[in-house]
Amino acid sequence: MLEQISSLIFQTDFVFSIFRITAPILFAALAAVVAEKAGVTNIGLEGIMLISGLFGTLFSYWTQSWMIGVLGAIVVGTLLALMMGFFALKLNTDIILAGIAINTMSAGGTIFLLYLFTGERGNTASLTSSNILIPTVKLPIIDSIPIIGEIISGHAVLTYIAFILVFVIWVLLYKTAIGLKIRAVGENAHAAESVGVSVIKIQYIALAISGILCGMGGAFMSMYYSQSWNTGLIAGRGFIALAAQAMGRGEPVGAMFSSLLFGLAQALRTKVSGMQGVSSNLISAMPYLVTIIGLVLYAASTMKKVKRRKADEANEEKK
Amino acid sequence: MSNNEYVVQMKGITKVYPNGVAANQGVDFNVKKGEIHALMGENGAGKSTLMKMLFGLEQPTEGEIIINGEKVSLSSPMVAISKGIGMVHQHFMLVPSLTVAENMVLGMEPKKGMFIDYKKAVEITEEYAKKYNLHVDANAKIIDIPVGMKQKVEILKALVRGAKILILDEPTAVLTTQETAELFKELINLKEQGYTIIFISHKLKEIKQITDRLTIMRGGKSMGVYETADISEQGISRLMVGRDVILTVEKEKAQPTDVVLKVRDLEYTDSWNRKMLDKLSFSVRKGEILGIAGVEGNGQRELVEMLFNLNVPDAGTVTVNGQNILGVPQRKIREMGVSLIPEDRMVYGIASSGTIEENLMSDRFDKKKYNKGMLFDMNAMHEESDRLIDDYLVLCKSRKQEVGMLSGGNIQKVVVAREFSSDPILIIADQPTRGIDVGATEFIRKKLVELSREGAAVLLVSADLNEVMELSDSLVVFYNGKIAAYFEDTSMLNDEIMGEYMLGLKKQTEEEVRRVCHE
Amino acid sequence: MNNRRMLMFEIIRGAAAILVALIVAMIFIFICSDQPFEALRYMLVSPLVSNGSISMNSIYTIFAAMTPIIFTGLGVCVMFSSNQFNLGGEGCVMLGGFIAALVGIYCSTGTYLDMVIAVLIASIVCAVVLYIPAVLKVKLGASEMVSSLMINYIIMYVVLHFLNNVFADGSKGSVQTFPFAETARIPQLVAGGSKLTWGFILALIFTVLVALFMYRTRWGYSIRMIGINQNFAKYSGMKVGAVIILSQIIGGFLSGMGGALEVLGRYEVFLWRDLPGYGWTGVTVAILAKNNPIFIPIAAFFISYLNRGCTLMATYSDVPAEMVDIIQAVIFLFFAAEKFLAKYRQKLVVAGAKEELSQKNAAAAEGGQK
Repeated sequence: MLEQISSLIFQTDFVFSIFRITAPILFAALAAVVAEKAGVTNIGLEGIMLISGLFGTLFSYWTQSWMIGVLGAIVVGTLLALMMGFFALKLNTDIILAGIAINTMSAGGTIFLLYLFTGERGNTASLTSSNILIPTVKLPIIDSIPIIGEIISGHAVLTYIAFILVFVIWVLLYKTAIGLKIRAVGENAHAAESVGVSVIKIQYIALAISGILCGMGGAFMSMYYSQSWNTGLIAGRGFIALAAQAMGRGEPVGAMFSSLLFGLAQALRTKVSGMQGVSSNLISAMPYLVTIIGLVLYAASTMKKVKRRKADEANEEKK
Repeated sequence: MSNNEYVVQMKGITKVYPNGVAANQGVDFNVKKGEIHALMGENGAGKSTLMKMLFGLEQPTEGEIIINGEKVSLSSPMVAISKGIGMVHQHFMLVPSLTVAENMVLGMEPKKGMFIDYKKAVEITEEYAKKYNLHVDANAKIIDIPVGMKQKVEILKALVRGAKILILDEPTAVLTTQETAELFKELINLKEQGYTIIFISHKLKEIKQITDRLTIMRGGKSMGVYETADISEQGISRLMVGRDVILTVEKEKAQPTDVVLKVRDLEYTDSWNRKMLDKLSFSVRKGEILGIAGVEGNGQRELVEMLFNLNVPDAGTVTVNGQNILGVPQRKIREMGVSLIPEDRMVYGIASSGTIEENLMSDRFDKKKYNKGMLFDMNAMHEESDRLIDDYLVLCKSRKQEVGMLSGGNIQKVVVAREFSSDPILIIADQPTRGIDVGATEFIRKKLVELSREGAAVLLVSADLNEVMELSDSLVVFYNGKIAAYFEDTSMLNDEIMGEYMLGLKKQTEEEVRRVCHE
Repeated sequence: MNNRRMLMFEIIRGAAAILVALIVAMIFIFICSDQPFEALRYMLVSPLVSNGSISMNSIYTIFAAMTPIIFTGLGVCVMFSSNQFNLGGEGCVMLGGFIAALVGIYCSTGTYLDMVIAVLIASIVCAVVLYIPAVLKVKLGASEMVSSLMINYIIMYVVLHFLNNVFADGSKGSVQTFPFAETARIPQLVAGGSKLTWGFILALIFTVLVALFMYRTRWGYSIRMIGINQNFAKYSGMKVGAVIILSQIIGGFLSGMGGALEVLGRYEVFLWRDLPGYGWTGVTVAILAKNNPIFIPIAAFFISYLNRGCTLMATYSDVPAEMVDIIQAVIFLFFAAEKFLAKYRQKLVVAGAKEELSQKNAAAAEGGQK
C-alpha cells in the first residue's frame, strides 16, 4: 500500500493538483492574515467567498468576460468585508458574531440571490461555458522543461496570482506605510492613535484587503476549480484558512506553508479515494488535527518564552 | 517681565469632569523658553489633568492656553504636536514588534515610490539620535530593548515630530539609577539646545538636581512657582504634602492584642527590574488599624497583590494567624478570614453587568447557608443582600439593579458591604475611598473603625494623607519598597513630618522601624 | 438605571431589528415575486393558519424543528456565558447523532432504556470532545475558536469514515447505517408526519434545567461571573479554569443531546453526510435570546417559524425559501450590535439618572426634616 501511495506522490499530476487545491485556501488564508494583523478576526471568510464566488459566475455570464467576472467577485467580496466592518467597528457588534452572521447569510442567501437574478436553483452549471472560465496559461520556456514544466506550467492565472500574492502581501505588510500602520494598529492601537493614525480607518482598509482576497478565492472556486457555482462550493475552506493563518503564526509565508499542507492532504485524499485499505476521510481529517497540534505547540512555546524571560531577569538580578 | 519669555502660558485653567470632579481650579502655569520646569504634586493633585490639557487629550472647562504668544485651542494631540508640544507618557506608546526606526516614523513614514523608505527611517533615527545624544539601536525591535532605551525612543519620537516643548510624565519612575543619570545628562543637553522641558515628578532629589523652576500643585490648585535654587527640600515637601480639609473620625483608643498578619522579608523585583519590595517586614495586630502612607509607586500596590495571591514574591513569608497565605488560592485566603477592598474597584471589585445581589454574593455563594442541595436558597440570598443594602446604605432601586449603573460611591459601598460582612479577621483596604463622594467616604471610614474596634486587624493603604492619618492607630511610611518610618501613635504626627519621610528626606533607623514587627 | 426601562429598551431594540429585517425581506419579495402580498402572507401567517383555520400540523412541524436548535442554543448559551467563543456545537450535533445511532443499532437491550442509554452516551461523548478545546484554552491559551472549528471538521470526517467503511448498510443504494432498534427511537408526541417527538418536551425541560443551573446554582453563577469579569471571579475566590472547562463540557453535552434526539427522533437510520448546521443556528438563537436560557425556546420558535414561513412561501409562491437566511442574518447582526440605537439608550440612561437624582434630593430633603 505504501508503495502505491509513494508512486502516486511522485507523479507530476499529483504535485500539480496540490498547487491547484492550495490556491483558494491560500487566498483566504492571506485574507485572514491581513485582517488579523490589524486586530480584527475575520471569521466571515467562508461566507464572503461563497457569495463572491456566485457573483463571479454571474458577472462573467452577463458580460461573457471572465475578467469582469473576477473583478465583480472582488468588488462584492470587498463590499461584504466592509459591511462586516460597519457592524463591528461602527455598531460595536462583536467581530466574530458579525462573521458568523455573514456565514449564515451566505448559506441560503446565495441560493436566493441566484434565483432572483437568473431563476436557476442551487447551481450555475447551465450558465457556465468554458469561454468564461478563468483560463490556464502555459508558461513559456518552463513548459518545455520535463517534470518541472508539467508541475508548474498550465495552471490557471489565479493560481499563479495566489502564490505571487504571498509575496505581495508580505511586501504590503512589511514594506509599505499602510502595512506598518496595519501592524501597529493590531498590536498597540493606543500607540498608533497617539501619533495620529486612525485605528478605525486602518481596520476598514485591512478588512477591505481581506475582502479583495476572499473575492479572488471565491472566483477561483466558482470560475475555475468547480467550473460552476453551487452551494457546497467553499466547503469549509474559509475556516481552514483561519486555521492556516493561526498555524502560520499570522505571517504570509507561514500561512502559505500551512495552506500547502492542507492542499497536500486534500490532494492525497482525492488520489487515494477508492484505494483499498486507505480511508480518504481519515486523511481529510489529518490537516485539522495537525492544526490543533500546531496551535498547541505554538501556545506552549510562547508560554515557555514568557516564563524563560522572567527567569532570565531573575538571574540577572542575582548577578 | 515681558510675556514673550514664556513658551507656555496656561491661565486660569479650570477642569470639571462630567462626573462633577473638579480636577483643576483656576490654575496658572507658565514655562519659560529653554528651562527645565518641574510640575510637582501628590497623586490626585491635578498635574496629569493639567498636562493632558496641554497635550490636547482633554479640553479645559475654563481658562486659556497660550503657546509662543499665540492663543491656541488644543483639540487633539495632533494639534498639540503641530504646535510643537510632545509628551512622553509613563506607559510607553510603542509597538513592541516593530523596530525602533519603524516606531519613530509611524504615521509620518518616509516613502520611496510605493514603499516605505526604511533606510531613510533608519537615517532619520540615527541622525536625531546623534544630534540629541540619545543613543538607540535603530534596527532593534522594541520588545528586545531595555526600558531606558524605550524612553529615549519616546523622546526621539516627540523630537522628530517637531516638538520644542517636551512633557515628561514621571520619566524616572521606570528607570534604574544609572539610567536616570543618563537621562538627566540627555535632558540637560536638550535644554542647552534650546528645548523646553516640563518634568513631572515627586522625587525631591531629582528635582533639585535638574530643574530650574518648579510649580507645586495640591488639591487641583497651584501652590506657587519657585526658583528651584531658592526653595529647600523641606519647603517643597511642606507645600506638596498637606491636608486641605481636616475631617475627623471619632474613635476610641485601640487596644491591640495578638499579631494577625505577619509579613517578613518580602522581596519583589518587577518585570522592569525595579526592586518594588525590599526586605519588607511588618505585623498587624488584632484590633488596630495600621496605615501605610507613601507616595504611590513605592511598593504599596505590589504588597497588596502579594497578600491576595494576585502576584508572587521573590522571597519572604506572609502568615495570617500563623498560617501561610503566599501562593494560596483566593478561596482559601478568604476562608481564613481575609478581606480585600481592591484598589481598582472596576477591575477586581465588581462584575459591572451583574446585579447588586450577584456582586454581594461573590465570596459566599457556595456557603451552605445559601444553598439548598444543588440549588441556591434564593430567600437566604435575597435576605442577606437586602440586609447588606440597608446596612451599608447602598442607594439603589432594588438588589436586582445592575451594579455598573450605580454611582462610584455606591459601587464602592457594594464592595465594602461584601468585604466587611464576611466576619473578617483581617481587612486589607487599598485606597478604600478613592474617587467617591464625601458621604460614602465618611460612611466607609466609620465602618472601618467600627470593625477594628470589634476586633478585626486592618491594613489601610491610602495615598490620601488625611485618611491615613486620621484612621490609623499606628502608621508606616513606604519609600522605595521599604518602610521609611513607623509611628506607633499617630496623634503626634503632622503633615510636615510625614512629607519628609514620604519624599525620602528622612529615614528612621532599622531598630525604630523594626518595632512594627511587634516581636 | 431602571431595570424595567432597560428591558423596555431591549424589547424596542429587538423589535426594531426584526422590523429592519422584515423590510429587507419585503424589498426582496417585491423584487422577485409577481404577487408580493400573497407571498408575504404565506411567509408571515401561513405557518399558523391554513385555509382559514389554525393548522396544528404546521405548528407541530415548527415545534419539531425547534428541538435540536433549543439544545444547541442552550449549549452555546452556557459556553458563551463564560466568554468563550467555542463553536464546537456544530460538530457535537453530528457526533451525538452518530453515536446515538450506533448505540441504538448495536447495543439494543430490547427495552425502552435503549433510547435513554443512546442519548446519554452520545451526550457524554460530546462533553468529552469539547473538553479538548476548553483545556487547551485554559492550560495553554490556545484559541478555543480555532480549535473548536477544527474539531468540527475532524468529527465530520471521522464520522464519515466510520459511516462509509465500517457501519454502512451495504444493501442500500445510498450510504447509511442499518436501522436503529425500535426501542431506541424517540417516540412521537403526536401522530402524523410532523416528526414532533418527546424530544421537544425534553428540550423544554432542559431549558428550565439550564436556566436553573445558570441562575440558581453556584456553578452557573460562577460561569456568568467569569464571563463578565474574570479578574473579579478570581479575586472573589472562584476556580476560574475549572469553571471555564465545566461550561464547555456542558455545552458539548447539550449539543450532543440535541443531535442524538434529532437523529433518533426524525430518522430510522443515520444518513447525515455533512455537518447539519444546527450548531450555527444555535449561535443565532443564543444571540437573539441575549444568552438567557429562558428566552432560548422563544428565539428558537421565532427562527423555526421564519423557516417554516419561508418554506411555505416557496411552496405556494415564487419566492425561494432560502431568503430566510438573509432575514436571520440581518436580525442577528442588529441584535448583536451594541451601538444599534445607542443614542436612544443614552437618552434613557440620562433620564434615569435625572430621576434618580431627583429622588435622592427628595430623600435628602426628607432626611433633613427629621
